[in-house]
Formats: sequence, C-alpha cells, structure tokens
Amino acid sequence: MIVCVSVVGHQNNPLYLQSFTEEDDALKLHHVVHCSLDVIDERVNNPKKTGSTLNETFLGLLYPTENYKVYGYLTNTKVKFILVTTDVDVRDADMRNFFRRFHSAYVDAVSNPFHVPGKKITSRSFAERVSTIVKSFGLGGAV
Amino acid sequence: MADPSASYLGKTLIEEISPVVMVLGTPLVEDSSRKNGLSFVDTLRPFSLFHDIDVPVRTASDQPYRLHKFKLRLHYASEIHQPDVEASEEHLKNVVTRASDVDTSDLRSDPPQIDSLLEAAESESLPSWFQIFNKELIHIASFSEHEAFDHPVACLLVVSSKDEQPINKFVELFDTNQLPSLLSDSIMDPKILKHYLLLHDNQDGALETDIKMLTEMRSTFGSNECRLLTINSAEDGSTDWQDNPWIPHKIDASISQDLGCLLNMDDINEMKNFMQDLASKHIIPHMEQKIRVLNQQVSATRKGFRNQIKNLWWRKGKEDAPETSSGQMYAFNSIESQMRVLGDYAFMLRDYELALSNYRLLSTDYKLDKAWKRYAGVQEMMGLAFFMLDQSKKDVEYCMENALSTYLKLGSSGQRNVTRCGLWWTEILKARDQYKEAAGVYFRISNEEPSLQAAVMLEQASYCYLLSKPPMLRKYGFHLVLAGNRYYISEQRKHAIRAYRSATSVYKGNAWSFINDHVHYHIGKWYSFIEIFDVALQHLLEVVACSHQSVATQELFLKDFLQTVQKLGKAFEVFSMQLPVINIPSLKVLFEDQRTYGSVGAVNIKESLWKCLEEDMIPLLPAARTNWLESQPKLSKNLKDSNICVAGEPIRVEIEFRNPLKIPISVSGASLICQLSAEPESVESAVVNQADNNVDGNSSATVFQNDSELIKLKRSWEQDAGSSFVLSEVDFSLGGSETTVIQFVVTPKVEGILNIVGVRWKLSDSVIGYHSFDTTVLKKKTVKGRRRGGQYAKSPLKFTVIKSLPKLECCIHHLPSKAYAGELHRLVLELKNRSKFPIKNMKMKISDPRFLNAGSLDDMKIEFPICLEKRINSKESIVQPNDVEGSNGLLFSFPEDCVIEGETTFTWPLWLHTSTTGRISLYMSIYYEMENSSNDIRYRTLRTQYDLEVLPSLDMSVHVAPCPSRLQEFLVRMDVTNRSSSESFLLHQFSSVGHNWEISSLPPDGAVHPSQMLTAGQALSCFFKLKKCNDLASEGMPSSTTLHGSDVRLGPHDSEKALFDISRAPLANFHSYERLDQGKSIQGSSNVDFILISQLKQNASAASDPPRLFSHHSCHHRQESKSLIHLLVVGYNGVQETFSHEGCIIVLPIVLRNMHDACVIVVIDQAASQVDVRGTALPSNGNVWNPVKNPREITQGTDGHSDICISFSPPYTQTLTNAIWGSSTPGHLQLEDNSMTRSGSRTTTLTPNTYKASRRVIAWFYHPSHGNWKRPNLARKARFVTINNLN
Repeated sequence: MIVCVSVVGHQNNPLYLQSFTEEDDALKLHHVVHCSLDVIDERVNNPKKTGSTLNETFLGLLYPTENYKVYGYLTNTKVKFILVTTDVDVRDADMRNFFRRFHSAYVDAVSNPFHVPGKKITSRSFAERVSTIVKSFGLGGAV
Repeated sequence: MADPSASYLGKTLIEEISPVVMVLGTPLVEDSSRKNGLSFVDTLRPFSLFHDIDVPVRTASDQPYRLHKFKLRLHYASEIHQPDVEASEEHLKNVVTRASDVDTSDLRSDPPQIDSLLEAAESESLPSWFQIFNKELIHIASFSEHEAFDHPVACLLVVSSKDEQPINKFVELFDTNQLPSLLSDSIMDPKILKHYLLLHDNQDGALETDIKMLTEMRSTFGSNECRLLTINSAEDGSTDWQDNPWIPHKIDASISQDLGCLLNMDDINEMKNFMQDLASKHIIPHMEQKIRVLNQQVSATRKGFRNQIKNLWWRKGKEDAPETSSGQMYAFNSIESQMRVLGDYAFMLRDYELALSNYRLLSTDYKLDKAWKRYAGVQEMMGLAFFMLDQSKKDVEYCMENALSTYLKLGSSGQRNVTRCGLWWTEILKARDQYKEAAGVYFRISNEEPSLQAAVMLEQASYCYLLSKPPMLRKYGFHLVLAGNRYYISEQRKHAIRAYRSATSVYKGNAWSFINDHVHYHIGKWYSFIEIFDVALQHLLEVVACSHQSVATQELFLKDFLQTVQKLGKAFEVFSMQLPVINIPSLKVLFEDQRTYGSVGAVNIKESLWKCLEEDMIPLLPAARTNWLESQPKLSKNLKDSNICVAGEPIRVEIEFRNPLKIPISVSGASLICQLSAEPESVESAVVNQADNNVDGNSSATVFQNDSELIKLKRSWEQDAGSSFVLSEVDFSLGGSETTVIQFVVTPKVEGILNIVGVRWKLSDSVIGYHSFDTTVLKKKTVKGRRRGGQYAKSPLKFTVIKSLPKLECCIHHLPSKAYAGELHRLVLELKNRSKFPIKNMKMKISDPRFLNAGSLDDMKIEFPICLEKRINSKESIVQPNDVEGSNGLLFSFPEDCVIEGETTFTWPLWLHTSTTGRISLYMSIYYEMENSSNDIRYRTLRTQYDLEVLPSLDMSVHVAPCPSRLQEFLVRMDVTNRSSSESFLLHQFSSVGHNWEISSLPPDGAVHPSQMLTAGQALSCFFKLKKCNDLASEGMPSSTTLHGSDVRLGPHDSEKALFDISRAPLANFHSYERLDQGKSIQGSSNVDFILISQLKQNASAASDPPRLFSHHSCHHRQESKSLIHLLVVGYNGVQETFSHEGCIIVLPIVLRNMHDACVIVVIDQAASQVDVRGTALPSNGNVWNPVKNPREITQGTDGHSDICISFSPPYTQTLTNAIWGSSTPGHLQLEDNSMTRSGSRTTTLTPNTYKASRRVIAWFYHPSHGNWKRPNLARKARFVTINNLN
C-alpha cells in the first residue's frame, strides 16, 4: 500500500505531501520524506553516469526504513517526487509507471496560471488525480 | 589505512580483550584498602595498564615478537559472573544522568549551529560520555560462558598480615564455594594460575612478622608465586597527588575524598612493580605456555586433512542432536573449548593469525553443531581479528553481519551480545570512515534495546550521519529527533532537549514547518518541565503563530504557551511577536495641521481632491522666490523634516492586525509607544543612551536580553507613559484568521518633537508584545504610494508639536442619509469654536453646488417650506449670494463681519437639492483664519465629507410641440412617472422659467390632475399650453439672471395652497445649476425650462413633520419641429368684392418664423412661373432663382450666418390662370434667429371664385455659408413646404 506521496521543490521545500493512511502519522512521514532528500542529494551528486542512466528520472529505491520503502523520482526542474510504501516487493515497472503518471499530473497542476511556482500545490483537482493514481497503483498500471 | 591497533577500536580491544585476573581477598585486606577510600582492586587498577611493558613473546610457531602495551583486568571473584540486567541498566542510567548534569550549563545558550557542529564533529569532540557508555554496554555482555577471553587467566589471592594463620586463609579463599560459576560449573579449567599476595598495612606495625610469614608462604606455595605488598606507609597526613592516578578510574566522582591519601611514592612504586611482575613474569609466560600446549593439542586432533575428515564424520553423527543455543555441551576439556581458549589467548597476545585460524575451525564446528551463540561469538571474534589484521573489508563485514544476525536470531538471550557486536562493528566502520554504514548499524541495534540505550545509539547514529562525507544533515536531524524522543521516554529530559536543540539547526529556516513546529514545541515543553521558562518560551514562540496547523494543534500550542507564561510568573515581553501579525505597510497616520477634518470619511479622501477643491480658497504661500539665488524662506529645520501637529489634538494611527490562527485570540491594552521631547536634537541619542545604561539593570524576564530594540521600546514606554501625551488603549479580539484595522490615538499635550516608535499590546492578559515601526520601510512605501500631504521626504511618524490653535468643528443638522431625487432640504451648518480665540475670515467651498448651496441668513427666519412660497408683496430684491464659480465647485465667502468668538457656535443655512440618484458624496471645505496667530499656521481648513444615498422618485420629461394653429403657442406634454418603490407623491406645481414664456393649463380653465396623487409606479401625462409673450414688450427689459416664470397649479383649481416661488434662491440657484448641468448653450431665449414641484405624500402618523418638497428640473426645451421655417398664411373665409375695378386685391398676411438659430434670408418670389417644383436639381436659369443670381448683394450684412431663401412660386396647377400674385414685401427678407416676421401676399383676381391656396407651394432655400452661394448645385438642398392652411 502506498502510504504517502510528496512533491519537494528544487530548494528542498515541501510542495505537496499527502498521506493515505488512517493514522495520524503526518509528522513521521514528513520526517521520512525529509530524510530521503539526503539520499536523493547523494544520488544526484555522485551519479554513476553510464549512458542509459544519464537521463534517467526514476531514482529507484532510495532507502528502506523500519516499515517503509521510499522511492524517488527527479524531474528535469529538480523537483522531486517521493513515494513511501509498505509493499515489500514492488515491480520496478509499476513504480516507473506510477511516477510517469504522477509527473504528468504535476505538470498539469503547475501549468495552472494561478499556481505560483515554488509555492505549495493547493489544487484540489491535483489531489483527486493523485489519489486516483495511487488507488490504481499496482493494479496492472495501464489505465 | 592507518594501523588498526592505533585506532580507537584497536586501543579499546587491547584494553577490553585482555587477561582477567580474579582477585580473592580477605575482609581485612579490604579494610586496609578502605583507609584510602578505595577497594583493593581499585587500588591496584591504575597499575594494571602497562604502556610499555616490553615483554618478549614467541608465537606458537616460534616467531618472536614483543608486547608493549598490555593490560590486566582485575576483578573480584564475586564480580565474575554475568551482570544482573536490572542492576546494569540502573548503572547505565546513572552514566547517562551524570552526563546530562554535566551538560546542563549550556542548556541556556543558543542552540548549536550546523557549521560549528560540523567543526566539532571533525575534531571528534563528540560527547565523551558516549565512549564510557559504550564501554559499560560492552561490560554488560561480559563473562559469558560462550567465550573465553573473559575467563580469568590468573587468580590473585590476597591475605592481610593481620589475618590469623594466613596460610590457611589462602587455602580457604580458593576453596570456598564463592568461586564464580565459570569455575565451579567447569566451563573453564579450574587449574588456573594462582598468585599469593600478603598485604601489609604499615599502620599496623612493622614488617618483621610479615617477612616471616612470607617465607612460610613461599615454602608452602612455591617461591615464585608469593609476594609481600606494603601499603599505607604514608604518615597520617594526606598526600597530595599532583595527578591522582585513581581519579580517572573512579566513575563515581561523588566520592571525592582523598583517594590514596595514605599511599606514598614507595607504595606506589611497589604496587607498580608488583603488577608489572605479575603480568610479565607470570601471566604472559603462562599464557604463552598454554598457547603452545593447546596449539599442539589442536594440531594433533584437528589440523591436517585426516583430522578434518574425521571431525566432519564425527560431527555428522551428531546432526540430530537437540539444538541448543548456549548448551553445556562443551566442557572445558572439550576440543572446542580448548580451541576457543587458544584463539582468545592468541588474540590477547596479539597473535591474530593464530587466533583467526582457530576461530575459523571453530566456527564451522559450531555451525555444524548449531551452537548458534557460540558460533556468533566466534564470528564476532573473527571479524575483530580480521580488522586487527587489516584484512579485506568484505571479510570483516561478512563476519560481523553473520555474528549480528545470528545473535539477533537468538532473541532475548543474545540481546546483550547484539549490542556489543554492533558496537564493535560500528567502531570498525568508523575506523574505516564508513560513517554512513556505522549509522545504519547503530540504528539496527537501537531497535533491540530499551529506550535509553536506544536513545544513545540513535544519537551516535546521528553523529555518524553528520560525519559522513558529504554530511547527511537531514538524517542527522531525524535521528536526533528519534533519539530525543527516546530520551524523553526514559525520562532524560536534559538529554532530550540537547538532542532536539541540535536538530533545530538542521530544520532552521526551511519550509518543513511540521517538523520544525514539532521540534520547537517539544523543546519548549521540556524546558518548561525542567523549569527554564524563558528559554521554553523562546521556543514556544516559534510555534505559537503557526497558521498551517490544524485547529486542535493551534489550540494546544497556544494553551501551552500561555501556561508557560503563567508559570514564569512575570510579565513576558516579546519583541516582534507574530501573534497577531502586524501589517506594517498598512500603517496610516492621520493628523491635522492646517488641514482639519470634520468627519471620518473626509480623512480618507485623496489629498489631491481636497487640494483641487481648496485651490482658490487658500492663500498662496508668501514664499515667492524672486530668483533662484535667494534661499528658501526660513522654515525652521524641524518643520521641514517632520509633520506638524497641534498640541491637544489627537494623532491617529491605523494599523492592520491579522490573526494567523484559526482560533480566536484576545488582545488588550494595545497602544502606541511614543517619545516626546522638547529639544528636537536630543531625542534619539537620549533614548539610545538610556537603553545602553539600562541593559544591566533590566530585571524583567525579557527573552532577548541583548536586544536593544526591545529595550529601547520598553524604555520609551516606561518613561513617557502619561506625562506629556495621552495614549489610547484598545482592547479587541480577533476571530480565526480575521483581519482588523485598529486605530490608535496619541494626543500630545506639550510642544516638542513627537516620535511614534512602535506599538505594544497584551495577548491574553499575559504576554506583552512589542513592535517597532521601521521607518525605512514606511518611507519606501511613502514614495511609492500616494501619501497624504505629499511630504515624501518626511518621516510619517515624526511630528513637530506646536502650540494649541483654535479648531473649528462643524456639523450639519437635518442632513438626511437617504433622500429621494429632487428633494429640497434646508440644512443648518453649525460651526463650533471650542478654543478661546476668535475665528474670522471664513470661506466655504462646496464640491457640487448642484446639490448643496449656501443660503442666506434670512432663510432661517421663516419656517420651511413656507419660506419658499410666493409672497404677494415680495418687494425684496433677489439675494445674490456672493458666490463665485470656481474651477471646481462653489466658493462661498461668509460676510466680512462673521467672526466666531471663542467658545461659541455659529450657524448658517444650507440648501440641499438631490438632483440625481445614486450614492453621492459631498465635499465641503471651510477655510478660516485665526486672530492673533503668531504661529507657523495662520489659517486652517476644515474638511468634511458627507455621503447620502438618493433614491429615484419622479421622472419628468417634457415634450414641446408647436401649436398647429398659432405660431406663438406651443403644446407642452409633461410625462411624469413615479419611480419610487413605495412612496406616493402629490404634484403641486408646474412652472416654466423665463420672462417671455407663459404657461397655462389646457384647457385654459380646467384643473390639471385634480387628485394630485401619483402612487408608486404610476405614470401620468399632463398637457399645458405654452405661450410666448410679446417679444417687443420684453425687449426693453435688461437681461438678468433672475428667473421670471409662470406657474400652473396642479390639482384642484381652487386650492388655497400657495405656490412656490421659483424665482428666488434657493430654487433659482439650483435651477441655474441644473441648466448648467443639462446643457451648455444658455444663450438665446427661445429655450424654455420647466420645473415640477411636488410633495411627498405623508402618512397620517407623520403629518406633523414639515412636508418634504421636491423639485424636478427639465431644461433647454425647444419647440420641436422638423422644419426650419414656419410659415402661416392667414386666410379669409370670404371676401366680398364687386369687381367694379379691374380686379379684387386680396392681401393674405404671411407670418414667417425662423425656427433656426441662425439668421436667415427669405426670398419670396411670387412672380415666378413654370417651375418644376418637384425637380430636385434646379437649373440656374430658372426664373425662380432670379433673386439669387446676385448672392453677394443679398448676403451683405449677414456675414457668417447661414442663409435661407424662400421663394414663393406660382402654383403649378392649372386653376390659377386668372389670378395674379404679388408681394407686399421686398423680394427678400432677413430673418434673425428664432424671430418672426410678417409679410403680405397679395393676390389679384378678376373673377369671383373660391380659390384654394392650399395648393400653393413655397420653396425656401437654405445655405450654410455664404461662400457657397456661388455654387448653384447647392440648390439640391431645397425643400418644399406645402401651405396647408387656408380658409
């Protein structure tokens, strides 16, 4: 199950963080997402620049914590998408697909002329779309 | 990589994995030692570490090497067992608590910065108690039976010389059942090296007997194994140790009495020698010996191919043996135990190769035996051995991982070993700069530990993240938060605070507000638990204005904040508190210098509007520089850079307050902070000095002790309150997310320089917030925005207070806030002079004279509306108010003799006429001068503004049509509609304006609309006849602006109600403004204006009220006609003629009227014939155009005007062959604009008949400019008018 998705701006400021659990664990997820930025930084600054991964946006599994696995995705504007899941084995293809769709949702959201770049995403339709994507995650993907 | 043994871990291993010496002593031995405040073991302990022992050793394969650093671990026999869990945890807790006490001092200082943390981490000045703690943790796991390095290598038996029969005591000591379980349970070889020591206490007497005893011992136990040790040889005095060797070993610093006070240098040297001998001459050779023996045994049984096969075979048979974790299955004489001993001994003597080879063998054995704990222990040792050998990382990691996970699998029995193994591993990783991995290991082992240990582990993990390259700050922060949490759970609040405080530096200034809030809130709360309230508040302040949190969280934060403030017990003062938020750019200063304001609305009007209004009224500045060389007129300097205000008059400051929270907050006692000083220059410096002087003496609980800004504000608040100015205090409450504008008032009482420096308020009656007005911000804003007064360079918050001046107050009585359109009101302007000085030379300017007009004093004498009625003998001349049409509005000067004495009031009538609907703002400015004004200000203006809403009432439109039968008469149709929603109106009177017009009802004597009533929504049309009086009669009258008119009463004809006089003020005035408004062309008298006067139908209840009058004006009406020339031929009904002469001459009078504004020339040509009247393009040779042939002649004297020619043409019908037309007038006549002329048309007829003149055609010609006369094709504009009225 996906626990949380979040968007982090290029200055590592949180733009969007949505948890999909019932419990009141927002703080914990904030911490988890915040910590994963360290790993992203590390990956970005020491990239193993082989041809195939040079333009790769999907960062893969960032790190496993106690109960969670954290996946990352880096857009070309250095906006990071971070996903926290409790699933033990996730197929890479599923994850890539998820991030691809999430990215397009994000692009649509920030293309809104009323969105201020660098500010939190408050669009309700974005939230709805994200929750649809999250719900359909792992169900075969192709939607 | 550096030498592993030089690393921290290497040193630790040398100390921790070293031979254990079991000490058995009699109680008397202890007694002797106690005299020094030390136990016997503690007495010896400083000397059990040898830095350069230099012992030659040979390995099992006879490789010689030397040991330099060496350590013996001394333990009482009673200590050699696995430590009790609870006791050890208590011990750990003590360690942590002690560390927290040490750190308390810097709890009040600022939290560390990232940079300094990084620096500290580089220099490895991490909290040193971690090492102590880690050692203690490792000690918890010591003396396990599954590993041999904790097993005693030697036994030291100590008997005091005072003991009776010491030989027996020695025997007894070893034989009692007090021996550790390791020995008694035959886990280790009971035949261990024994050493006998006779302790002599010098205080108890001489040595002689002891030496005798020693020889006795030597004979009994062997000469090498016995020894005499003398202690307490010092005189009774206390020996002062420069650096007491025992203090570093004493963890309990509480026992700070003189350690070793009875030991002198000789004693110490003797102890040193004893220990060195013990190590180098007994223990190390013993171990070496044992290694050889064991190695031979192991080689015999296990080494070699044959042995290995055999071993495997043998093990296989045991495969179905029960799986035991620790198991007693390996006795001390089993080959496995011996191998372990061999390995451990080799390890202790630093023969790591040998140790490793044995461990390797063992680990396969144990694995096959499924003796997991032992297996893990061996793996652990292998890892360490690999490390010490500086072998590949991979091997080390593999072994440690193996060990750790195996211990983990064991569950609770392996828990302590997990921790120890983890700690070893982290140290290995740290030694290899793999900090990140070390942090991961710390985190793993923290999961297995109770919260206190976990907290310390996590904190160490966080430091590892900090040390990793590049530093992983976020993980550092996160682990610190986790650690802090665990600390808090295990009631180590100071540690919790310390951890969180370090974490704040990571989260500072970034947008992760949830985390930030959590950290600050908890720090604040914990500080308040340990009763450091001021720091607690400092942190709570950070979170109290969190707008992003949920309502519940906000309430919690605020509640805790306020509770902490209460606990503080003092007024808590905050500079720039964010609760509520002050919107500085919204700051607005309202003050009065020359310009005074009569109403709130007037203040908010743009200055430019007032300037425009007052343009003509205010005298120009006398400072007209004749040339640029002359300096500016002398204005005192302070007047130039500050605003002027008058003592005793309030300055209002409006600021916007916003509540960032979703819960309501209450603010009380909000007021401005001001400084008022008599000397302009010294204000600033005085305050600053005071602030500096009072820093030390400031005893209140200010968080920012060094914040001079706050102190400055506080100073000015305390200093000036109530002395030279009066401040208003405002209490208000703000709902969730509410924004409100608060007005503050400061009233200076004396002259000087007034500075408004800030604002102060009280939140929830406990927190005092200060906020200073940063003038630089304001100035910036001033330049950008339009500031009142246009004094851009001035600071808006600095004022020069001048002597008090008279100030007029104004109020208008009877001004309705709501009125119907057209309503006429008499208002009373009341001016009040509260000062003692008289006021003179008053002028008034009104923005829109159409609405508001000054009356005359006479208007006040008679009651409204009777004063407007026509008086029969109105002999008085029309009052012409001396008003001047200004560029914008109306300037009205009060009579010269109007002086308002001090403390009197003055009234003047005003007239209000609401001519249009909608919301209307009226601006009025009154100018007045002060007598005996020696000040900079000679005059002042009073600005007022009134708003009223005008509702639609009656809609009047007038249509004027020429009367078909009379040229001088017109038919007037008045359409009136009641547009109001509910009111009914009574129509009263309909008047035409102009001295040459006369209006009468149609029919002449009938009543027009007898009921008068017009209910809501009703429409009505009335008809009137408008007659033009004889022009010639009025010719002589001078044209004046006075309005003469005629009126028609609407309603019952016999009504005795008086008509209203439209020719006097104010109706006449308003009418002229209406005329101005409705159209520009006022010249020419042919236009007619109408006025409808009506009353509001009042309810019975309000009958006593004066009637409400309405007047509606409709201006510039003309007789509407399509034609430009009206022609009327007066016909005859019949002419009797005898025809005795040649013929009968009939003169048909023709009346011509020019309906056009321009002069017209009419040509009547009756001689023409044969004209194609329908032709549109008349040829120039036609007879009809004859007179036009010489246009210059015609148009002489009419220059510039358009001309119109009219020519009569003979009928084109065949009937008039026997009649000849002639004209009594010249061929052409000139018609002035809007004028009328008479002409005659003569007809001569020879036979009696009835002639129809109706068929006749008159053609006229219009030409716009006489230059175009030359162009005949302009005749296209000719029109044809049929005479249709004859007979």
